[in-house]
Amino acid sequence: MSTIRASGTHDGPVLCSAGRQARTDGDRREPRLDFRAFVSPWLAAVCVAAVLLAAPAAAQTRDFTLRGFGDIGWTTFTAEKSFSAVLGSDTGRVLGGGVEALLPRRLFVNLRASRFREVGQRVFLFNGEQFDLGIPTTITVTPIELTGGYRFDFGWRLVPYGGAGLGGYRYEETSRFAEASENVSERFTGYHVVGGVEVRLAQWIGAAAETQWATVPDALGNEPNSVSHEFGESGLGGVTFRLKVVVGR
Amino acid sequence: MLTAGIWIGTAIAQDALLLPQFPALLSDITAPAIDRGIRDLDPPRTPRDGSFVRVVDDIGGDERFVDGTIIVRFRPGTTPDARRAMLSQVDGATTPALPYASFDLVAIDPAADPERAAQRLDAQPDVEYAQARYRVYPSFVPNDPLYARQWNYPAIDMERAWDINPGAMPSITVAVLDSGVAFRSGVFGFNARAFRLAANAPAFPALGFISIPFAAAPDLWGVDRFVAPRDFIWDTDTPLDLDGHGTHVSGTIGQLTNNGVGVAGMAFNVRIMPVKVVSGDWDFIFNSPFQGTDDVVARGIRYAVDNGARVLNLSIGRTGSPAPVVRAAIASAVSRGVFVVVAAGNAFERGNDVERLAEFAPEIDGMVAVGAIGRDQRRAYYSNTGPYVELVAPGGNSRVGGRDGTILQQTFDFDLVETYLSGPGQYEAPRFDSFAYEFMQGTSMAAPHVAGFAALLMQQGITSPAAIEAIMKRYATDLGPVGPDDEYGYGLINPRASLRGLGLAR
Repeated sequence: MSTIRASGTHDGPVLCSAGRQARTDGDRREPRLDFRAFVSPWLAAVCVAAVLLAAPAAAQTRDFTLRGFGDIGWTTFTAEKSFSAVLGSDTGRVLGGGVEALLPRRLFVNLRASRFREVGQRVFLFNGEQFDLGIPTTITVTPIELTGGYRFDFGWRLVPYGGAGLGGYRYEETSRFAEASENVSERFTGYHVVGGVEVRLAQWIGAAAETQWATVPDALGNEPNSVSHEFGESGLGGVTFRLKVVVGR
Repeated sequence: MLTAGIWIGTAIAQDALLLPQFPALLSDITAPAIDRGIRDLDPPRTPRDGSFVRVVDDIGGDERFVDGTIIVRFRPGTTPDARRAMLSQVDGATTPALPYASFDLVAIDPAADPERAAQRLDAQPDVEYAQARYRVYPSFVPNDPLYARQWNYPAIDMERAWDINPGAMPSITVAVLDSGVAFRSGVFGFNARAFRLAANAPAFPALGFISIPFAAAPDLWGVDRFVAPRDFIWDTDTPLDLDGHGTHVSGTIGQLTNNGVGVAGMAFNVRIMPVKVVSGDWDFIFNSPFQGTDDVVARGIRYAVDNGARVLNLSIGRTGSPAPVVRAAIASAVSRGVFVVVAAGNAFERGNDVERLAEFAPEIDGMVAVGAIGRDQRRAYYSNTGPYVELVAPGGNSRVGGRDGTILQQTFDFDLVETYLSGPGQYEAPRFDSFAYEFMQGTSMAAPHVAGFAALLMQQGITSPAAIEAIMKRYATDLGPVGPDDEYGYGLINPRASLRGLGLAR
């Protein structure tokens, strides 16, 4: 009588699964293994971490990966008084997207375009008092940013990353009743740093949350008859928190 | 031969108990107003001379002020005994309190010098101010009334400003403190006394009791257009314009626009509050109980504020001694959220004396003194200069472009109003129901541009008088030397740029 042992093995962590002996007729029935007896809270935590940190095969094996992403974020502008005066808030929603290349040595580079667009109204400021004039004005900020950075990709499921880069920022301001020359459409150069963490949700889908700080010096406040000049605010940058969906391996 | 003493009435009833029964409303029903149009094919009529009040009496004295009374404001807490003690120094006695007056009128010896009496009281510690009752006059420089063209609005970019704010709304009331306004129809009775135009000029006979037709200016009148009318010259609620100045000024503020008739106004949807505080020739001939003096102006200001005016236009003024009573009234008005516009005066070629109702404008944020420019965008020859001139607006300059270089608005047909200009032989009762488009020039014509502009700004959302003044100055088109100067102040008003306000970056 031979004992047939289970031929299969488990590639993963053994503590989370129990081997089972096959039985033949006549064999004495042995008590079943009680799973709960082996699983302590510590073991459960380690198990969850192991699953999350399990590196996708692609991340561990590929030298170059190209993928796309889309994002939604909220930017709080450095020129908070100016944006608050005209738009009613210094924070607004930003939609964006781009492409990203994962390079050897855990480096990455991405190119991202986004747009902030809100409608407010022209105002007059006097002695700390604001008078809303009811003339609609639309502010549009369109950054195109190039970012390079490093992914702390050590085979875990969560991949922290950080980077820095530069961008071109198109600032547009249009108002009702304005002549073409009275509207604004200008491009400025800015710089930014970004940090976040990515998690792979499926083989081709990942998600990330990141925070970016950007500075776009001398973009505002140049016109004497402007809110930004009144407040002495010249930067167009800000802090952005965004959620990304990554498509690609 | 009749003597001047027989012909000329000299006593002016100042006490309410002595008010005459005029104007007497004889009928509300009249024929429709006569609109004689622009009349640019008529031969030139005799131009009005440079003095608003041409009728003079021969009682002697000083025409600058009214004899027999002065204006005094005691400091709060001054006891009646202390008042009597002070007034005894000038043989004075207070008169019954007048409505809308935060001061006292003190009767003094009619033969006494009111200025000296006022100075004595002004030196007392319990007296906030004391002054003579100086006469106030409209500020316009009359012009030959022919031809039509309104260059004044393009000069300040009004077409584009109206794109942003088409004429404000009826929720804004602009008070016109002037010679009255042609705001209603009716037949009114007056008693026309005898007079002469100059001390040695031919006498005009008394016409006795006459019925005079009135009508509202067709290009100004509308349903609910006029609110809370008040006449401080006749002490009535019917501030009939017996001159045409106030009607012309009102036209620049709010002439009906885009109605296919006549000409345009700055803020053509606002309500207008006619407040009569200056008297014209016919008021004198009809022997009005009050004249346009500082105290009357101050009461008019108070009345307008109490009755809801948001903007006051004073196309009136005088030179001479300071006017603390008017200053106090204007300061009070501004403190209550009312924007005040005052003409800077037309005396540049007559010595450029300080315009007393305008001189304190730089000290009150929410009050502006307005000078005049011609269509060449240079200061009009008559427009006063001085540190109190804060802004300029089109007032016209007949030396640059002749009549077409002045300001056109609808008012009375002066041929039917100034019937005394042709001499006693052709003198007859006037009529105030016939209108024409007349050219006038003066800082009186410049000021209502700014008053209408202020109404637009209020409608746009700038409700603080100080902020209105600030934005007007900020966006004014600098003229003359760079920066503020005595000729143009901060420059020519720019309604469109002001109404646009500030964007985030531009």
